[in-house]
Amino acid sequence: MTNSKIHPDQIYIDGLANNDSAIIQSIYKKFVPKVVHYIRNNSGDEDKAQDVVQEIMILLFNQAKAKKLQLTCPFDAYFFLLCKRKWLNEIKKSSNKGVTIDEDMPSINEPTEEMVTETEVFDEKQKLFDLMFLKLGDKCQELLKLSFTIKSMEEVAEKLNVTYGYVRKKKSLCVGQLTQWIQETNRFKSLKIT
Amino acid sequence: MNEERYILFGQYLENELSAEEKTNFEKQLSEDQEFASAFETFKDLNLHLENKFGNATELNAFKKNLKSISKEHFKSKKPKVVALKPWQYAIAASVAILVGLFVFQNINPSFEDYDNPEIATFTERGNVKENLKLAQDAFNAKNYKAAIPHFEAVLKEDKSPEIQYFYAVSLLEENQFQKAEANLLELKSGTSIYKNKATWYLALSKLKQKDYKSCKEILLTIPDDFEDYDQVQELLNELD
Repeated sequence: MTNSKIHPDQIYIDGLANNDSAIIQSIYKKFVPKVVHYIRNNSGDEDKAQDVVQEIMILLFNQAKAKKLQLTCPFDAYFFLLCKRKWLNEIKKSSNKGVTIDEDMPSINEPTEEMVTETEVFDEKQKLFDLMFLKLGDKCQELLKLSFTIKSMEEVAEKLNVTYGYVRKKKSLCVGQLTQWIQETNRFKSLKIT
Repeated sequence: MNEERYILFGQYLENELSAEEKTNFEKQLSEDQEFASAFETFKDLNLHLENKFGNATELNAFKKNLKSISKEHFKSKKPKVVALKPWQYAIAASVAILVGLFVFQNINPSFEDYDNPEIATFTERGNVKENLKLAQDAFNAKNYKAAIPHFEAVLKEDKSPEIQYFYAVSLLEENQFQKAEANLLELKSGTSIYKNKATWYLALSKLKQKDYKSCKEILLTIPDDFEDYDQVQELLNELD
């Protein structure tokens, strides 16, 4: 994957990661109208489109920040397909309403599909990690939160009024607990992370 | 849980092993697939947590910026549908002003605008207790009245901030303000991760009772690293 060429549209991804207003505005100008049009024609409205777009942008921000987003296809197709699939999933969830889906979209080429799937897997994984994190005891949650916010372990130890050695060990054990749960989760298996 | 293994993982990542231990570790990684996959997950989780907590401030700033750009974009798009003649502008403008005055004077923000209970997912835990499952199903189906007695049964046995929070939200949905607020206050003064969420719902409880002043006072106590802080701000703006 790292061998594939990075598309010049990577500037949009980098712009999102840097919270660059000019880039965000240009995404809205160039790419969002198409999404709005699609959602409107498929049982949605402008407000719904606005929400979908924002959620996808936040997802891209997170993925870019995790340094896991290297665009190998045009941003246009990638972004549109992400929004479209998110919207279709949402309709599916509430599909007791009568829904009309206009499926006459031209078929999308493979590199784009791949990129989109990667982002969706990233999203799933994040959600799973967050869910598991909430299962941890309060002590673990607090310790992890502190030790990943404050970088100095000595400071964390001081704040929690425990020894440095304890923080180090406990941190590994808390992440270990998460590791174990995640490995046990079937959902994780279906994601094929490794 | 295999404690030693996870401690070893941590030491390896922090580069605390001796040269020999390191070689052994890497050897095991290449030979033992189960070991390697656990380490991969462990490493992945570390990255995730680093990203989640390390970038929390940046994420918040991004969300705020995104929201305002989005608002701007969708607002500026709407009115360009028909080109009006000058005299039509005059009429449109005065109508707009009248409508504006009417809207701004009479409409206060309402509880329903901000009430978005999250989905409860207790039973992904290993030990599925019957009451917990019933409470979760009723809650997610927005059948709060039915959820309440189940939550009470669960809390009697095993009180946790999570359950208490969802219980309080159910009470609020059913307009049992006093009980709801007592539970939310307890969470607010605690240290669990539900602290801020509980404070937010406490404000919403005041909003639902149209006690705008208390609502605002409570909102102002919510720290800006709260995950739904944009909602807090929006409501504050509306209350002003």
